[in-house]
Amino acid sequence: MDETVAEYIRRTVLKIPRDEIKTMLQKWGFLSEAQLQTLNFHQIKDNISQEVVQLCEENCADIKQAAVLDIIYNHIYQNKRMWSVYQMKKSGEELEYFDITDFKKKFKGRLRSALKNVTITFKEYEDNAIWIRVAWGTPYKKPNQYKPSYVVYHSQTPYVFISASVLKSNLPLLCQALIVASNYHDIREMELRSHSLNSLKDIVFKRYSQNFQTYYPKPLQGGNVEPESADIRIVQENRSEKERIHRLNWEVFGGGPQPKLEFAQYKLETMFKSDPKMGVLDKKEPFRCLVKFSSPHLLESLKSLAPAGMADAPLSPLLTCIPHKARNYFKIREKKGLFPESFVSP
Amino acid sequence: QENVDPQKTAFLLRKAWTLYSVTPLYRFHRARLRDYARLLSAFIAAEKQKGLAVEVGVELDIKVAVSSLTDLRGSEQDQAAVLVQLSSRSRASSRNSEDKLVWSGWFCSVYGDDLSENVPEDFTCLPLFLTHGAESYTSMIGSWFQKTFDCCFRRLAISPLNLSWMVAMWAGCKLDRAASAVELVFSVPRLSQPLDISYAIHPEDAKALWDTVQKTPGEITQEEVDVFMDCLYAHFHRHFKIHLSAAKLVKVSTAVASAHCDGIVKILHSQYLPGVLMLLTELAISQIQ
Repeated sequence: MDETVAEYIRRTVLKIPRDEIKTMLQKWGFLSEAQLQTLNFHQIKDNISQEVVQLCEENCADIKQAAVLDIIYNHIYQNKRMWSVYQMKKSGEELEYFDITDFKKKFKGRLRSALKNVTITFKEYEDNAIWIRVAWGTPYKKPNQYKPSYVVYHSQTPYVFISASVLKSNLPLLCQALIVASNYHDIREMELRSHSLNSLKDIVFKRYSQNFQTYYPKPLQGGNVEPESADIRIVQENRSEKERIHRLNWEVFGGGPQPKLEFAQYKLETMFKSDPKMGVLDKKEPFRCLVKFSSPHLLESLKSLAPAGMADAPLSPLLTCIPHKARNYFKIREKKGLFPESFVSP
Repeated sequence: QENVDPQKTAFLLRKAWTLYSVTPLYRFHRARLRDYARLLSAFIAAEKQKGLAVEVGVELDIKVAVSSLTDLRGSEQDQAAVLVQLSSRSRASSRNSEDKLVWSGWFCSVYGDDLSENVPEDFTCLPLFLTHGAESYTSMIGSWFQKTFDCCFRRLAISPLNLSWMVAMWAGCKLDRAASAVELVFSVPRLSQPLDISYAIHPEDAKALWDTVQKTPGEITQEEVDVFMDCLYAHFHRHFKIHLSAAKLVKVSTAVASAHCDGIVKILHSQYLPGVLMLLTELAISQIQ
């Protein structure tokens, strides 16, 4: 077995938490159940990985099999990577039958015709997701297995999720191969990025709870703003205001869980406006700002701002449009004309 | 105070310093700096023997140097700054290997007249203490100074009010080179999911705003700072409908310096070093009094 393959397998196994190693090797299926029985999973990971490499040696593993193990790891730990979303466009309306073999052949063909040294691996999952791993080389160097790009393509949709490696120069080639293989004619990057691949899918596939109802159910005992106090001396202040905020929140965010995003970024190129009496800045140039919101769960966090008294209700459409506009990067410029208070986002 | 030699103070720049306030030192004698270095060295060695080892593994000899930074002061009334540096040389390495600086701390006073005026003769006022390096060394050195000079160290937190002073002041500074953005970082912790907001303004635009707010050159009032901040809050609210004023300002960052509410400061420009130190000295003194 090639030393580089052995080292790669060793390092991949080392990444896996000790309790998960056996399951992942079983999913991989390259080592037999009998072989897996011989492994001692109660020793330090260094030793476990060495033993795994020895077994792979017995089975003459090559880079193709090692790459499959890497896909399995990254599929399970997909949230460790940053994913961007791309949308492909078809020229015609034809709904073509998707042939996976044809797709793979065309994809490989397109990449290999441009770049000889490249490792391409596919794995299909039950939810119609095709995972593609590409390790990139140069005309003179073998592919770098430690910085591959991952692509997740749901064949029934025009969306592709890419976790590019640091080598961004290969992105155009990757995009080209995708549209050639899937019979689309164009691809563009959306302004939508997150670590949570599932949340990105939720947003573009519209799987999150959007509010289709315009009717807000009457607040019942449960799910209301503040719990009733047993002490009658405590009176809920501003009860109607609190209920108004709650209702507006519901109208915007719906009742279900929000897709999980970690940040939203706004590049503001709007004018600074102030009360003329204050005698402050009155430039004709935009007041340039960059605003970044971050949170372990951004949309839930934004949803709780108005009830906490931190924001007006309804919340600004700049924030609430994130899921249905499917973007979390924005450039905001002043809208000219009748409504100077509104903004346009290209 | 403008004649601070940039070469001597270069080591202060671009490092994150943790801030403390220090009460006046009793019977501190500048002539005895070498003695203090020796005593401190012995103290640290003893602490390590007691089992308060700092680094596991390679045995390190810690060398202590205590020096005066004569130019680092504000007025003639200020005491010159005192610098303490800990270097290590691994016992395993050869005799010619260089010492590695592992910890620095310095006491200073820049226009600290408010404090020094009201203090009896035996006391030396150096109310601001800045450290860079492992916390364990900081606490050892702090203990020694406390025991030896009967003084008291306290972490210097920086309130949102003071942070807004800093950002307003520093945003207005004139800089030759292209400057980095004026950034304010807010935290909203008490939500179901914590939220951090970074609000970064183009330095030219921030300065333009401050220039129209500040009415008297060379003087800054609380009212001007409030107007500046209100403008920033209003601009933000116009877009996002969020009341930033209700969030907690935790960090401000400009091309001159950056400051964090936990009492951590980074100074980036030697030109404004005295100004920054003066502000920090003032904060230290108000914490002491």
